[in-house]
Amino acid sequence: MQTEIIDHVKFGIISPDEIRRISVEKLTIPDTYNEDGYPIDGGLLDQRLGVIDPGLICKTCGGRAKICPGHFGHVELIRPVVHSEFAKVIHILLQATCQKCHKLLLDEEHIAELREKMRNVVVLGEPEENKGSTVEERDSLLKKLKSVKKCPYCGTVQQRIKFETPTYFYIGETRIKPDEIRDMLAKISDDDLQVLGIDPETSRPEWLVLNALLVPPVNVRPSITLESGERSEDDLTHKLVDIMRINQRLEQNINAGAPQIIIDDLWELLQYNVTTYFNNETSGIPPARHRSGRALKTLAQRLKGKEGRFRYNLSGKRVNFSSRTVISVDPSIAVDEVGVPMPIASVLTVPFYVTEWNIEKAKVLLSRNEYPTVLNVIAKDGKRKRVADTNREELLKELSAGMVIERQLADGDMVLFNRQPSLHRISIMAHRVRVLPGRTFRINVCTTNPYNADFDGDEMNLHVPQTLESQAEAKYLMEVENQVFSPRNGAAIISSMHDDFTGMFILTLGETAVNKKEAAYMLSRAGVYELPKAMKGGMYDGRAIFSMLLPKDLSLDLQTKSGRVNISSGRLVEGQITKEAYNAILTSIAVKYGMTDLRKFIERAARAADAFVTLYGVTVGVKEYMIDKATDTERGAMLKNTLANVAELIAKYKSGKLEPLVGYTMRQSLEQMILFELNKAAKGAETLISKNVPKMNNALIIANVGGRGSVFNFVQMSMFLGQQATLGGTRIKRGYASGRVLPHLKARSVDPVDHGFIESSFRTGLSPVDMYMHAIGSRISESYKSLLTARSGYLQRRLINALQDYYVYEDNSVRDVHGNMIETIYGGDAIDPIKVKLAKSKE
Amino acid sequence: MAEEKNAFKITPGEPVGVIAAQSIGEPGTQMILRLFHFAGVATESVIATAGLPRLVELVDAKKKPSTPFSYVYLEDKVKNSFEKVAEIVKRIDEIKVRDLAKRTVENFSKGTIKARLDPQVLDTTELTAKGVASKIGKLLGVETETEGNVITAKMHTKNLKEIRAGSVKLMNLTVNGIEGAGKAVVRQDLKTGEFYILTADSNIDLILPIEGVDRSRIYTNDIFKIYQVFGVEAARNALAMELKKLMEEQRIDVNDRHLLLLADAMTFSGGIKNVGRHGLSGEKLSVFARAAYEETVKHLVNAAAFGEVDPMKGVTENILAGKQILLGTGTVSLAINKDDLAKIKPKK
Repeated sequence: MQTEIIDHVKFGIISPDEIRRISVEKLTIPDTYNEDGYPIDGGLLDQRLGVIDPGLICKTCGGRAKICPGHFGHVELIRPVVHSEFAKVIHILLQATCQKCHKLLLDEEHIAELREKMRNVVVLGEPEENKGSTVEERDSLLKKLKSVKKCPYCGTVQQRIKFETPTYFYIGETRIKPDEIRDMLAKISDDDLQVLGIDPETSRPEWLVLNALLVPPVNVRPSITLESGERSEDDLTHKLVDIMRINQRLEQNINAGAPQIIIDDLWELLQYNVTTYFNNETSGIPPARHRSGRALKTLAQRLKGKEGRFRYNLSGKRVNFSSRTVISVDPSIAVDEVGVPMPIASVLTVPFYVTEWNIEKAKVLLSRNEYPTVLNVIAKDGKRKRVADTNREELLKELSAGMVIERQLADGDMVLFNRQPSLHRISIMAHRVRVLPGRTFRINVCTTNPYNADFDGDEMNLHVPQTLESQAEAKYLMEVENQVFSPRNGAAIISSMHDDFTGMFILTLGETAVNKKEAAYMLSRAGVYELPKAMKGGMYDGRAIFSMLLPKDLSLDLQTKSGRVNISSGRLVEGQITKEAYNAILTSIAVKYGMTDLRKFIERAARAADAFVTLYGVTVGVKEYMIDKATDTERGAMLKNTLANVAELIAKYKSGKLEPLVGYTMRQSLEQMILFELNKAAKGAETLISKNVPKMNNALIIANVGGRGSVFNFVQMSMFLGQQATLGGTRIKRGYASGRVLPHLKARSVDPVDHGFIESSFRTGLSPVDMYMHAIGSRISESYKSLLTARSGYLQRRLINALQDYYVYEDNSVRDVHGNMIETIYGGDAIDPIKVKLAKSKE
Repeated sequence: MAEEKNAFKITPGEPVGVIAAQSIGEPGTQMILRLFHFAGVATESVIATAGLPRLVELVDAKKKPSTPFSYVYLEDKVKNSFEKVAEIVKRIDEIKVRDLAKRTVENFSKGTIKARLDPQVLDTTELTAKGVASKIGKLLGVETETEGNVITAKMHTKNLKEIRAGSVKLMNLTVNGIEGAGKAVVRQDLKTGEFYILTADSNIDLILPIEGVDRSRIYTNDIFKIYQVFGVEAARNALAMELKKLMEEQRIDVNDRHLLLLADAMTFSGGIKNVGRHGLSGEKLSVFARAAYEETVKHLVNAAAFGEVDPMKGVTENILAGKQILLGTGTVSLAINKDDLAKIKPKK
């Protein structure tokens, strides 16, 4: 449970005084270790800054490596330098204030008005709804102040203040040095800063010019010892050494009274080193490099980007109590189970909180010396002890209420199961553990869909919730049972698939009958141990068998695309079970009996259907894709017709009589119309197949029923391949001069066959030109796919980032976490999208 | 009955934003493939950008869609007559010299620009070479001559640069219709039989004043234009409609509620904000949330310079801090003060 609360976080700038206050040591020696391999006092790895080597003790807090949090040190810069990251802010402030009296270049009236607005936001520290508009107002004001010519208070004429990246400032043409900038900024009054929305308590602008540089503790920049015993320092340490070296040289030169040019040069160098210490990708200057030529990774680089601190370590964290292995199928386990291999189950643990009521059970567990046993015992003081055969007796004696024992993962535990990419919330669901032999995770095929998993080597992750709260949340919010319907559209996403649909369809054709042995086998697979009434002749009707899987009092009457389906009192009286009918059954079971019964039905139906297809045997061979003479002639006629239509379009185009589409040139319109005509041919072929191919053609059945493939696949195999598309769905036209795709084709041709329309089918085989066109299409489709997955991934990230703070408030309105109202009633009716299909079936 | 109704209600605390984002984003991968297989089955999808590129365009709140178009419906008295509608189209249909003539021929010694109009194209319009010439003359403020289909514009200068510029200007002159309205054609609604106008641009503000136009039914796929002409509420509806149309075209079943929430999120502030670093995500209150999204250093630096406060309420901030987020089961908390608990004496 969460007990500590971070109420808010205040940002600010550390002042030089603050730097000196929190610093444990003023560092003076630009080096790390001495010849003996010991950290130099006053050097960058001074032991007062904390320790990283095991065995050493921190000279500040006395803690060891793991206990000492590290302590900041500081370097006194002999000449101040500008903090380059803040250069833009400095520029804005210099522009907004008078060069003589350092007052804001704004008359009193405006100041008073803006001050009032800013007070609410900054001084009272209330980030209110109107903050956004106030900030915008300020920014536009600052832009205006740039062009003020004369100070409204002292009347001084303002010269242009020029800023050159990364850190150079000029008044008119004369360069102003950091110390001068610092003095100018220091003279801006607190009141004026508040008007600009700057909190002077935490962010005085003169602090942006550095007198003292904070040196982070060694934990932040640990040195590593190579195998050869050689020490290798962190990039930050390298950078700090550079800064200190230049600082020292600058000091020596100043003390020796060196000429101004030399001093300025060194000052410049110091500025460069400090700039690259903060950000080594500052524009306008070359990045500081390592001896090997690699650019150093300094502070900004540590935070930035996908591999930076924020996105890599803070938004996503590493976890314990997790495991990963290959997944494979197991139709025998329940939909909401996951098969966990023994090697994993014996390593992952679940905490068992010992109380006076369960201590006996805990003792039994702890006393065991094989599989379901205890791996660790956590005493009341939080000390974790590993259980071994040698100390088991002793630990058993010590065991008392209030201790926690970590037992091995066992059957029935709730665990989270996940497959990446986690594109939606059902990419992580809670499953019940089923410990199995082997080395892979096992899942039921029906749950493969939400994870978008298959078994060609996919790996998945498993996490064990470690607190009672998280275990409860996993069970009630994330359990597979409750995820059957997708929150995207309320459709069943956990359901039977492929072969199961084929099986259910053939089983419920009406004419399908099986013998007693088969019937018994199918039903027993589904866990039903009684037979329906046999027909005359001892055979069993397929529909009667399917009915055995349904709840006894389910009634349903619906019109599907493939006819009426009537279920009355748990008996399928009429119609075949297609995907559509199956889904209707799922919704009505969910509404009437709840999610557990639904899950059980999905399981039963899948197993029975699976058993049936296995017995029945649905195969597809070349035979299925042979079309009869008549159909073939029709195919020829249709193609001829299409090509004639295209030829007509081309003729029209050539004579300029083509009516162009809105917003398109004649040429583009022709392209679109030809494409439309060719696509129409493909559609026509599909209807032709559906019409002419015998109903019991296996290939057509599986396509129509959703078992596998589509009618278009059928067309491509038995009739023609159709148009090979390119990027954006145009015809293939790239290649040689004059629009030839292949060298021997006619120049400037618009003919379908010259641009990737393939008249032959996979069965008849492709001509060489067809083959090339097909290969072009495949290659383009492959590269297009990868290109757009990246695009859609980024879109997803942006969408989630923009919408993640919105939730449904108690009054069914949608608000963000700050209380802004996005919608007055969610979706207009506060209906949960996961339940829309259920709600509809209820009407 | 009341209880039954509540069974389908959304649970308070539900992070509907994330669910909407996932529901719209997750099928993005499918969109790609489908865009591929069926390019241009319906006449309208031939015209407009579809699939993922269009989704990105909508979500980015682009000032202008890459393929803008608008539907102009007409009032009852005209809508059933092809002739009357065609009359209106003639007034709208934007024709530029560029559409009529392929190129110009400049004569620098005489200071003239010649343009040969394509008779085939000219035939499809109601324009004549003479009419075009006089229009050019008026718009450019120069004298013109016509010889068959060749128009000669006599420029006031012989300066090469100016003639070149004049030639470009000439080609871009609008000689018919409303400038910026785009090409317009008559279409017939197959269901109602009425005629309407389809234009290849989204400047409906230019078309609205035309007599006979039904102002209550005009539509364009340009959200920003709708916002300018009709306001946010209309823009919100248009955005939701465009999203829905897009999903339907791609045969992706996404519940309207998700699309509506996205449209509402983008418009609830009163203007149109995009989804990204210059819109919704870039204007978040939380410094951490902005820093964790994009432009990490910029946000941290500004926060420090102005002394900003992060209220630590959003999802990202709390994940960064390792705290429980304030959505879902995190919305509820104990009403009893922890310290007060100690005062309660257990009953014996």
